[in-house]
Amino acid sequence: MSSKDEILKKLSADGMPEYPYPVPDFTPQRFDDPAATFAERLEAAGGRAVRMAPDETLDDVVRRCYPDARTIASTMPELGIATLDPDAVEDPRELVDVDLGVVTGAFGVAENGAVWIAQDIRHKALYFGATALVIVIPKDAIVDTMHEAVMRPEVDDFGYGCFMSGPSKTADIEQALVFGAHGPMSVTVVIRA
Amino acid sequence: MSTHSKAAKRFVADAERMAWHDKALYAVREKRDRMMMTVPEWEGLRRLSSEIKRHTLSRLGHYLCEFERNATANGMVVHWAKDAAEMNATVWELVREHGGTNLIKSKSMLSEECGLTPYLEERGVDAVESDLGERIMQLLHRPPSHIVLPAIAVRREEVGTLFEREMHTEPGNSDPTYLTHAARKALRPKFLDADISMTGVNFAVASTGALAVCTNEGNADLGTSFADLHIAIMGIEKVIPDMAALAVFTRLLARSGTGQPVTSYTSLYRRPAPGKQIHVILVDNGRSEWLADAAHRNMLKCLRCGACLNTCPVYRRSGGSTYSYFIPGPLGINLGMLRSPKLYHGNVSACSLCYSCSDVCPAQIDLGEQIYMWRQQLDGLHLADPVKKLSVKGMDFIMGGRRRFYGGIALARAAEKLPRFVLENGLNPWSAPGRAMPPFAPKTFNGWWKKTKKDE
Repeated sequence: MSSKDEILKKLSADGMPEYPYPVPDFTPQRFDDPAATFAERLEAAGGRAVRMAPDETLDDVVRRCYPDARTIASTMPELGIATLDPDAVEDPRELVDVDLGVVTGAFGVAENGAVWIAQDIRHKALYFGATALVIVIPKDAIVDTMHEAVMRPEVDDFGYGCFMSGPSKTADIEQALVFGAHGPMSVTVVIRA
Repeated sequence: MSTHSKAAKRFVADAERMAWHDKALYAVREKRDRMMMTVPEWEGLRRLSSEIKRHTLSRLGHYLCEFERNATANGMVVHWAKDAAEMNATVWELVREHGGTNLIKSKSMLSEECGLTPYLEERGVDAVESDLGERIMQLLHRPPSHIVLPAIAVRREEVGTLFEREMHTEPGNSDPTYLTHAARKALRPKFLDADISMTGVNFAVASTGALAVCTNEGNADLGTSFADLHIAIMGIEKVIPDMAALAVFTRLLARSGTGQPVTSYTSLYRRPAPGKQIHVILVDNGRSEWLADAAHRNMLKCLRCGACLNTCPVYRRSGGSTYSYFIPGPLGINLGMLRSPKLYHGNVSACSLCYSCSDVCPAQIDLGEQIYMWRQQLDGLHLADPVKKLSVKGMDFIMGGRRRFYGGIALARAAEKLPRFVLENGLNPWSAPGRAMPPFAPKTFNGWWKKTKKDE
């Protein structure tokens, strides 16, 4: 008998009655101003949200937020100041420690400041290897809670995806919060106008 | 005296450290409370989470097969392992087939449970822990003392000294930011040169065949970004029905454990990237037997958030290394008893029965109640402490008769007048250093009652 069959046989003999899939007895919370809550909670997670002004280009916003970035990796055609096309790179290791990655996110989640990113670049190494990360999300793309988030079509079709809430962090030394454990030291979410 | 009390003696001997440990963990518990306050439907969420887990456990075989079917259709390879030995052997086979000896690991309690790292090291594989806390413990050659805060009992100066030796940091510098960034730099080549990456699994979504991995550091994601083989190991209880369930659990996990609204990274692996492989190992290792134990199967609902450790007054004041099972606190007491009452019953006394753990558990596991139940089961398992048994027999005799009872009280009141050194010594099991015997009330309740009645 294979291990699978052995395990399944034991499970079927566990004597546990079958319980139905439960129905929630609550309505998930809603926020008066989801965008404001998103910005506030993202900030609490160490990141920041920036709204693009109507007359601003993506270049302007990125420059405004990261004036010192020299190596900027992005596949976004509108980003004129990009210095590197991450999809043209064969070895993902080359994307590690670039100053800045500029990537696309699908939407934000107000309750926890997270942004859903469904990988649309060749190497996901950019999301985690860049020293700083800018995530650009569409206008008004903020949902209230995770209940709504997981039902979005963008979370239905992906190979690799991530809810990312602020920069990489740790408090493993005496509970002192430090940003940039292994991934980005800084994360800015740009909301389109 | 239990194995836990004996081991705790060393921990409490350093009063300053004990106070720090207690305070640091209680601060995490308070962060959890603040997070809870921001979610009006919190108790409804906990109930829902518990019921989803119960439903899933009642159809575990079905969901495991559904997960396997969908994950396979997505291009992953699914393996089944009935015990630790089979899991380790499966990993070793995958490593050998793939080639290479550099393995980058993210945190997995299952790997601790199965002794995977030492097993691989014996075979010449350099299995590097990439979570900062886990790495600190690996370099110290000590097991983690908390399931989500592995290095919580290590002070910054110790980390400073360790990193000075291992990473050539500045002598005497124990600033957490400096040390964290030194580790970041030192671990970079371990990520980049890894032949294989390994992660645990927080949730395996049956309906989509996706694996959810939650970290704050991003170490799991960075680890899986370079090596072309990703091995994910998970206990069979980690499977959940669908994405709606994932939403419920991700709302609860970090709020309960570390007091954050969500971990920095909640990553979903659904299809391997082109040219890469993901192998998932579904591990039983006792779980199917625990599921058959109606009194204790609730333990399989655990999300491994750590809230029960943070709130436990005994854990906070005795530290993780004092428990004989590799998982400490209320969770570890229970899991240890499921694993082997004979080996781990020394932990069941590490509980004041305050039930705070049951109150904070995001899956509403009755952790405290189960510890109480285990204590009742000890005698039947022939594991009861003979000294305690004798004293209970004695108490039963004294309290069994009216005259014996009042005689005993009179005797105790007389004994109280004895010199302290007679009362507070090793022969009195209730006596401990730093703890004085409380004085008796000046009058017994019975005496007071009789007098009051008479005065009326």
